[in-house]
Amino acid sequence: MSKVKELFNKYQALAYVVLLALLCAVPFILPKAVYVRYACNILMYATLAGSLNIINGYSGQTCLGQAGFFAIGAYTMAALSTKFGISFWLLLPFAGILAAFVGFLVSLPTLKLKGIYLSIVTLGASEIIRIIAQTWTPVTGGAMGIKQIPYPELFGLDTFRPKYYYFIFLVIGVVFLFVTKRVLNSRVGRSWIAIREDEIAAKSLGVQTSFYKSLNFMYGAFWAGVVGCAYAPFVNYIEASQFSTDTGFNVLAMIVIGGQGTLIGPIVGSTIVTLLTETLRFLESWRYVIYAVLIIAMMWLRPQGIAGASRSILAGGKIKRKKQAEGAEGSATNG
Amino acid sequence: MEYFLNQLVNGLCQGAIYALMAIGYSVIVGVVGMVTFTYGEIMMIGAFGAYYVFQFIGINLPVALLAAFASSFLLGIIVYKLCYERFFNAPRHISLLCTIGFSMLIKNLVQIVFGPETKPVLNIIDNRTFTIPLGSAISIDLKLLQIVVMILVVVLAVTLTLFFNRTKSGIALRAVSQNKDAAYLMGINVKRTAMLGNCIGCGFGGVAGILLAIYYYSISTTTWGGFSMKAFSASVLGGLVDLRMSALGGLCIGIVENLGITISSATFRDVFAFGFLIIMLVLRPQGFASKKGSRV
Repeated sequence: MSKVKELFNKYQALAYVVLLALLCAVPFILPKAVYVRYACNILMYATLAGSLNIINGYSGQTCLGQAGFFAIGAYTMAALSTKFGISFWLLLPFAGILAAFVGFLVSLPTLKLKGIYLSIVTLGASEIIRIIAQTWTPVTGGAMGIKQIPYPELFGLDTFRPKYYYFIFLVIGVVFLFVTKRVLNSRVGRSWIAIREDEIAAKSLGVQTSFYKSLNFMYGAFWAGVVGCAYAPFVNYIEASQFSTDTGFNVLAMIVIGGQGTLIGPIVGSTIVTLLTETLRFLESWRYVIYAVLIIAMMWLRPQGIAGASRSILAGGKIKRKKQAEGAEGSATNG
Repeated sequence: MEYFLNQLVNGLCQGAIYALMAIGYSVIVGVVGMVTFTYGEIMMIGAFGAYYVFQFIGINLPVALLAAFASSFLLGIIVYKLCYERFFNAPRHISLLCTIGFSMLIKNLVQIVFGPETKPVLNIIDNRTFTIPLGSAISIDLKLLQIVVMILVVVLAVTLTLFFNRTKSGIALRAVSQNKDAAYLMGINVKRTAMLGNCIGCGFGGVAGILLAIYYYSISTTTWGGFSMKAFSASVLGGLVDLRMSALGGLCIGIVENLGITISSATFRDVFAFGFLIIMLVLRPQGFASKKGSRV
């Protein structure tokens, strides 16, 4: 294993190029358009789960409302492009900025709150966004939703085919990973991780926790908005029920199954969950039962996720318990 | 004005059911020490338990309430074993996700076993209306259903308070909710007591479930997530572990919702509930409770 790592480090640039080339070849290799659709879904959810991972995995806040930010991005694209014909590529950053602004608003009450109080605020905010989307008929189409969202232009390719739409998701995903890796290695990312590990210690070392927590929310929301913006033309029809809390929980399950606090985790989680729910479609409701059992089994057997490190603070579980058990025994014998 | 007063009565009645849900929720959070997202499905199972009593035994409210309590109580054991017992010392998001997974499991199993369609719950309580005159031109309409619901909620809440204050297991429950280690040293079986607390909370959820079903004349298999969040919000408003304050939180949410929809449309019901919660949390993060971290 260490040898593989050594080799990888040596030819890192080459490895990335090969990987990227393979990813570019995927839509042409896959035999059916349906499979390409799955690949698109995997890429999209990988980025969306990655954006939630920024908040949950790196700064340790439990945000349950990612579906709300996702919805903001999707509705920005849908409403502005159908009403005013604004280009997709202009709306992409704009949707992100709008979602980031909403993320900022949501982060304001959460700065004073912790743990589960924070979760309920994010959950409530996401529900409020969904209900507004459902009722604000002139802009969001209300319960009818918005149909026929124009496809983006991409060098004259027919982006209505998943084969080419795949590249939009790929570009967003790669840019997301690249930028996020840089951010995480910067002062900002280190502050987030410090807040996750111990907020009081971080504060005492001069990390402005409120500022960085707020920034963290905005960054996570920004990418959720961007993904939402790309999602709207892909499905071509959006309505409020696509952004229910179940969607948020779904994304949360992805990062937990894949492994919080790692960059690769959301990708693994998104692949597993998407493949599971798509390929088991013939089982109808039973596939959700299997999915639910998978979540519970994951929590029992590997709470840090598939890609997560067992020593991570997010794993806790066994190690901590063992230590505590030893500690308890020690004190019992001493007493 | 009359419409406004009637909505106030509706809000009070709905708030009473929310209060019952919030009490159950607070018992769970207080005793187990972890939040649950399975609560909606627990209420659903309670409602289904009562529904099948109505189907097979006939309309017998006390038996139905008992069945609701019992079925949710039993489900509580499974929830406790699956989602809490192993995770007392683990990070909180682990058990939280377990409960989310379990709620998905129950929701889909119920849809498979009992069918996904909404089931009617009709004529459980006489559809009689009392008109109470207030002054010359104003009068309030009070349905028999509303009276029964409110009385039931009050009776149940008082029973629970008596249980917590007068019985040995009730006192053990309070001890566990205050400090698990200290309770353990006093010879209380902490795991068993936590399970009992969880089950009692679930049982109350089940009763609230059938009351909601009677109130809305139907049991659906999909809307419970929303009610679960109402229970959660109400209990957060009350400081999460304080029973009386949670009940107050439930009442407030019910009233705010019903007054809110008088000035706008009924679709904004949840916006008012959550907006109220968020504003309250900004102004008073500890909820209605007098001090931070007060207990059951």
